Amino acid sequence: MERVLADFVKTLRNANVQVSPAETLDAMEVIQNIGYEDRELLKNTLSLTLPKTPEEKEKFESCFEDFFQEKISSRSDSYDEEKERQEQANTNIEKSELISNFLEGSSNDLDLEISKAGEEVEVREIKYFTQRSVFSRKILEAMGVSEIEDYLSRLNLDKTEEPSEEEKMLRSQLANLREKVSNFVQQQFLLHGDVSGEQLREQVFKSMNMGQIDRSYLNEVHSLVRKMAKKLANMHSRRKKNFRRGKLDIRKTIQDNWVNQGVLFNLRWSYKKIDKPKIIVVCDVSGSVGAYARFMLMFLFSLTEVVSKIRAFVFSSNLGEITEDFKTNTLENAIEGALSKYGGGSTDYSSALSDLVSICIDEIDKKTTVVILGDARNNFGPDKAELLKLVKDRAKQVYWLNPEGTYRWNTGDSVMNTYSAYCTKVFECGTLTQLERVIGTLLKTAI
Amino acid sequence: MAKGPQDSIKAISKGFAKHNYVCSNQIATAVYLANELDKPILIEGPPGVGKTELANTAALYYKKELLRLQCYEGLDETKALYEWRYGKQLLYTQILKEQMQEVLDGAKGLKESLSRLMSFEDIFFSEDFLESRPLLQALTSDKGNVLLIDEVDKSDEEFEALLLEILSEFQISIPELGIRKAEVKPLVILTSNNSREIGDALKRRCLHLYIPFPDASLEREIIQARVPEINENLKIQLVAFVQGLRDLDLKKLPAISETIDWARTLILLNAKEINEDLAKETLNVLLKHQQDVEVVQKEIPSLIKTSIH
Repeated sequence: MERVLADFVKTLRNANVQVSPAETLDAMEVIQNIGYEDRELLKNTLSLTLPKTPEEKEKFESCFEDFFQEKISSRSDSYDEEKERQEQANTNIEKSELISNFLEGSSNDLDLEISKAGEEVEVREIKYFTQRSVFSRKILEAMGVSEIEDYLSRLNLDKTEEPSEEEKMLRSQLANLREKVSNFVQQQFLLHGDVSGEQLREQVFKSMNMGQIDRSYLNEVHSLVRKMAKKLANMHSRRKKNFRRGKLDIRKTIQDNWVNQGVLFNLRWSYKKIDKPKIIVVCDVSGSVGAYARFMLMFLFSLTEVVSKIRAFVFSSNLGEITEDFKTNTLENAIEGALSKYGGGSTDYSSALSDLVSICIDEIDKKTTVVILGDARNNFGPDKAELLKLVKDRAKQVYWLNPEGTYRWNTGDSVMNTYSAYCTKVFECGTLTQLERVIGTLLKTAI
Repeated sequence: MAKGPQDSIKAISKGFAKHNYVCSNQIATAVYLANELDKPILIEGPPGVGKTELANTAALYYKKELLRLQCYEGLDETKALYEWRYGKQLLYTQILKEQMQEVLDGAKGLKESLSRLMSFEDIFFSEDFLESRPLLQALTSDKGNVLLIDEVDKSDEEFEALLLEILSEFQISIPELGIRKAEVKPLVILTSNNSREIGDALKRRCLHLYIPFPDASLEREIIQARVPEINENLKIQLVAFVQGLRDLDLKKLPAISETIDWARTLILLNAKEINEDLAKETLNVLLKHQQDVEVVQKEIPSLIKTSIH
């Protein structure tokens, strides 16, 4: 019985309904109370325990219909132990029985047989589109189809003339069966496989080096980035800090002042202020790092809920501001535009830094976080690190994100060491997961 | 006592109907499970579909006291859980100073004074100075009760964390006194209007009930229960009209509570059926935004036409 529920939970998870083990246990407890007999009751109770948002409820609805419709036809009898034993006995008697059974078998029995065979070969483990034919064959084998095929070929050997009535019948039944099985596997694939494929893809994207993600996947990656950004935004949107004004927190004040014999000396306030960081991003979009800049900008501009102000600059040699583009254009187009307009040249960090200082040094204050994305490969030009120092002195913090692996820093024309002296923190940031982590830290410490 | 769960659920439906609350099977199941498994119910849904009313009715049905905690931003443990009576505590320290003279009278040396002081019963942090708030009251009552935590989405995230212990273990830790555990577990009902996402941790501990707008037949039943004096014709027409309204693109869709208000208004005006003028004049009972009223006014003739058929 628990198996049914576990399978159902798995199906739900595949449909992107988040079900925790605790909730599964709840559901189990609930089912012990109400049983499997009443379908509507079962649906009502499971919908109370498993899905936890209106959207999830909708998904649950369709999953339930799919899953238990299919299950009820297959399980209603097969879980009846007595019948199961009978059936087993039936299959054991004689193999030729199978064929005669097969010839006159009603379609209902056939469905039952198919799903039983499906159980046997664990068709619910199906993950990829390409596995369908394998599973179809496995199910057919499990049902003893090879026997029928043998029988058929023997018939053919014996008489090469007109096929008999029986043979025709058998052949058409076999085709029918094949179709049924392939439909069944298709349904199972939709139920179990389809979405876990998507999850797998997401996982791959997250841990893949951003520079190597193919452009044809951009849309999918973008929605993934949105999802990650939303998670971060949710986490940080309501963080507050204590403030020295507003409502007096009497409880804390009195508690803190017992030491002063109850004289209220140190006041405590309950008023809290939501603090949003100000961010200035400077992205290197020269050939080597352009791809990373794309994802970085996607990420940051999906975060506008939790960031009070964000200014974005890109450069190869000279710095160009693209904040306005993001306001007037869609995210994708703005990024494409910025990359084609500024990208591709050879990198010059010194002129970029001096541009940054001249454009917005006045705007950098103790609330500002400056994020620089680049590989610090300066083509052996001057580094002008003193400008970065100037920025760091004024800003709350300076983060340097380097898409290259740490082992490649300071090799060749990379001057990461020189710059890192004037950064609050330096991160390696080649994959989406790393990027998410870095921006999470940024939001946490930016207050 | 009812035998199977189906019977108990039916009994709940009937019992609720007696208190003029018409509930769907889903709702009755939720109440049954909450009561049976001691799990809180988190109710979500658009405003005015009877989330708070469900708690009221549950209290009436189980004949238990209803404790209500209205959540708002800035609500903290001193208002929800407990508070020390600071004034009395301050007075107590004053008395203590005077008493101290007697206690320490005749003590020789620092050591003896100290040991006498230690043996002196300290009630500074004790039940006497504890002012319980709704959550603590719900746990300490020995008769059991229905605890309604209303609009939990309006509270801060910290408060949500505070609720976790209460909802899963039915206990509260008071640092100065220790753990207070409920003898009789209360039936807890939380409501949310989804003004922000409720944390997963909280959701995980609750049964999740979503109450949508009712369909026509359920809404007619509700109107019948709430406004019994209404005539059959008017009821059917009124419900069809409101159901039609919900298909329009409005800022705030009329909920059941508005339908009920409207039914009462129409009865007060002695209406036998809804006509255009009447609908126009009383529209502001149903709709709460001027823009919505303007949108709907154009649609009134067609809405009335469909509601008659």
